[in-house]
Amino acid sequence: MVIEQYTITTTPKYNFPHPTIDTTLSQRFSEISINSLKQVRINNFLLNLQEDNFTENNPTQIQLKRTPLPLTPKHQETTIVAVDSSTIKIGETPTGIIIAIRGATVWKQNRNYRYTRLGPFIFHITEENKKSIYSSLERTYFTTQNSSQQIPTLLQMPNRLANLLERWLQIMLAKNTNNGIILFDGSLIGGTIDTPTHRLHEILSNARRNKNTVLAFSKATTLRINGYLITERLPEQSTPYLLETTGLHFKPPTVLLGDVYVAKLQRSNMAFRLDIDKEIEFSERIEAVEKLLGNDVFQQSYPETLRLAHILCTFTANEVLAMQHFASSKHGIQIINRPDMHRLLFGPFGKEGYA
Amino acid sequence: MKLYKKEGNIVQILSFPDENAEKGDYLVVEDNEAHKALIVQVIDVQFAAVSGMLEELLRTLSEGSDFIKGEDIDPLEIAPHITYIQDASLLVCKIRATLENDQLSPNNSWLPSRSQSIIIKLSVQSLMKLAKVDGDLPIILGGTKDSTLLTIDATAIDGTLNIITGKKGCGKSHLSKLLMISLVGYKATVVIFDLNGEYTSIGMTQDGKRNIYYDKIHTLNPAQNFKVSLDQLHLNVVMGILVHALHLPGTSAREFRRIWKDLKDKDKLTLVNLGEAIRNCNCNQHVRDALASRFHSISNSGFFTDNKTEANLLDESLAKCKNQGGAIVINLKNTSTVDRQIVVEYVLGKLVDSLQSWKLKAVFLFAEEAHLYLRETYWDDIVTRMRHYGIFTTFITNQPDTIQETIYRQADNIFLFNFTNEHDLDVVSRAARIDAETVKSIARDLPPQHCLTLGKVVRDFPMVTRVRSIDVKTMGETRLFFS
Repeated sequence: MVIEQYTITTTPKYNFPHPTIDTTLSQRFSEISINSLKQVRINNFLLNLQEDNFTENNPTQIQLKRTPLPLTPKHQETTIVAVDSSTIKIGETPTGIIIAIRGATVWKQNRNYRYTRLGPFIFHITEENKKSIYSSLERTYFTTQNSSQQIPTLLQMPNRLANLLERWLQIMLAKNTNNGIILFDGSLIGGTIDTPTHRLHEILSNARRNKNTVLAFSKATTLRINGYLITERLPEQSTPYLLETTGLHFKPPTVLLGDVYVAKLQRSNMAFRLDIDKEIEFSERIEAVEKLLGNDVFQQSYPETLRLAHILCTFTANEVLAMQHFASSKHGIQIINRPDMHRLLFGPFGKEGYA
Repeated sequence: MKLYKKEGNIVQILSFPDENAEKGDYLVVEDNEAHKALIVQVIDVQFAAVSGMLEELLRTLSEGSDFIKGEDIDPLEIAPHITYIQDASLLVCKIRATLENDQLSPNNSWLPSRSQSIIIKLSVQSLMKLAKVDGDLPIILGGTKDSTLLTIDATAIDGTLNIITGKKGCGKSHLSKLLMISLVGYKATVVIFDLNGEYTSIGMTQDGKRNIYYDKIHTLNPAQNFKVSLDQLHLNVVMGILVHALHLPGTSAREFRRIWKDLKDKDKLTLVNLGEAIRNCNCNQHVRDALASRFHSISNSGFFTDNKTEANLLDESLAKCKNQGGAIVINLKNTSTVDRQIVVEYVLGKLVDSLQSWKLKAVFLFAEEAHLYLRETYWDDIVTRMRHYGIFTTFITNQPDTIQETIYRQADNIFLFNFTNEHDLDVVSRAARIDAETVKSIARDLPPQHCLTLGKVVRDFPMVTRVRSIDVKTMGETRLFFS
């Protein structure tokens, strides 16, 4: 189909045994979602639209210490929590796009995994309403506003709204979890267009206050040393281990709120960039990773809790159909397929996404 | 419902959970612009190939175990829509006819509009009306899924070859009894070869009282109240018994014919005289021995008698049935294989004689597990020659492969009960009036007492019905040790 899906770089969420969910979140999301759908005046929406990807600032001179920090799994009972969010475009209207957002948190405690999924929330975003939607949600969930930040473009809105949801889930986790390890999907870079420094700072502060350690895993990194990705060409050393990086600085306003490591946690070929909160003591950082190793299951060096969070929030094709059915049956929006111009012009050579 | 695909005479229709279409249902694919509609029947229901289903199932798989549990906060209530899409089904349908100007035709060469066609369910009642499944002599077979009574016309069984088949205990005998008493009710003459003695009490109600058919049921028990004297027999009938039931060789048959004619001419045709004549026959020793052994078989069967008061003529029973209708039940329950064949040869020979001489107009013959008493050559005889005399046969069997393929190919009506065995379904699907897919797909899922009716009686619109109950004493139940 014509649907493109983005996973947002970030993670966390809230509390265990019985997490108390802030119900205003879903209420506000629902209200804005339904209001936006009611604004579809022309009863057609089209599928297929190409998306843009935004890039991060290139960092300055990065060095990788070649001496690994060996790790020993610690089996001391520790709660592991993870958060992820996902967005998908489910169609277009003549005035905008229809998108869906969903967030998921997963926590592992006493050898059991549990999850909470929030959403999907469906929005009709137009040039006219994008500002009000974004600002309204931001106002509702974050005490600090990012007033200086420019309003996202229409095509940036899916990622930005998903990011907003994910950051909110992260802050809830940071506030409600105690003595745990919070796994984020992505990095700990602040000052970007969608993550103001003060917001990420607030999340990390709350986590520290409750004696949590935030570990942010990046599935893919663009950081290179001598032309090679930092997760490649690793020393032959028995796993698990971490490699420290130094000298990593971004041009303002981008700020790194964590220290960057390369984590090779299993014998597999896979290694990941791991950001750990800068404000945490070195020994605590190592201990946190060791507790993670002792308390979670790993597949391809990637923690299962975070993998589940990703799986649970990702939209499947039949969910997209269901949401299109919802838009159509509840709001009378007829779905029309827009012809794929690549296919139309280039036939079998016109693969979507290739220029 | 939406039309998805058409290949040959198969159409695939996308159906959603609230549309409740099942196997056997009829649908109308109506193209208003073409002013035509396709009448299709659902022969299979499959899951629609919704993309992403595998991922969805894999993701929810862990939720069902102890591995991962959780909570979904779904404020917009999208979950029911997801279920709706996941449970969408694909109806594989067979095109049965085209409806144009209220007339049905077998034409399926046109293609209805995929986007504009309207698909609705067609009730059995409406279908029967369209297909003109009606008449002056209705036989109510039972109720359909939509609570309509499936009524066939007795004239659609007239002059036809019918098969009732299905696995053991699913209601074949019940249906044959229903058909039989319905025909008797319309004053038809019915003859039943009752292998297990289960039709003998058909004149009684379930609580043991006489029912309205009591006086019309004539049970003949061979060697008991059903005996014949030799002088009542036509030579052809006797020769049929000797050659086909007792396998008398040609030379010996010629000698027997001579002896029989000699005794007949002298008006001395009795068992005693026949035995004496064979003993004193001036012929080859082997021939004499062959004739003697056959004579012993005949005489030991107890079916033949020299006492004319004991002899119950089949002709008499047939005569009783002639005006007001009736059923002659030939009870073969306690009869040996050879005796059974003798009796059947006799009855069939007499029937042909009576029909040839127009003593009888026509007779409906019900034959249960006919392979146990019908000789090979009779199969073709029954479906070709005897049909022209007016013997209209209904075969009842739970072993469909015991009926010859030629019978299936010429069967006009098939009443099919549940079969799960692929081989059995293969055999039945050779019937000329039905397609193999329908037989295989629908018959496999039929519940007990449900019958797929195929052929002329339903104007070639296969219909599933739950056979109605009848108030007759059932004798066909299996005897159990533990009950």
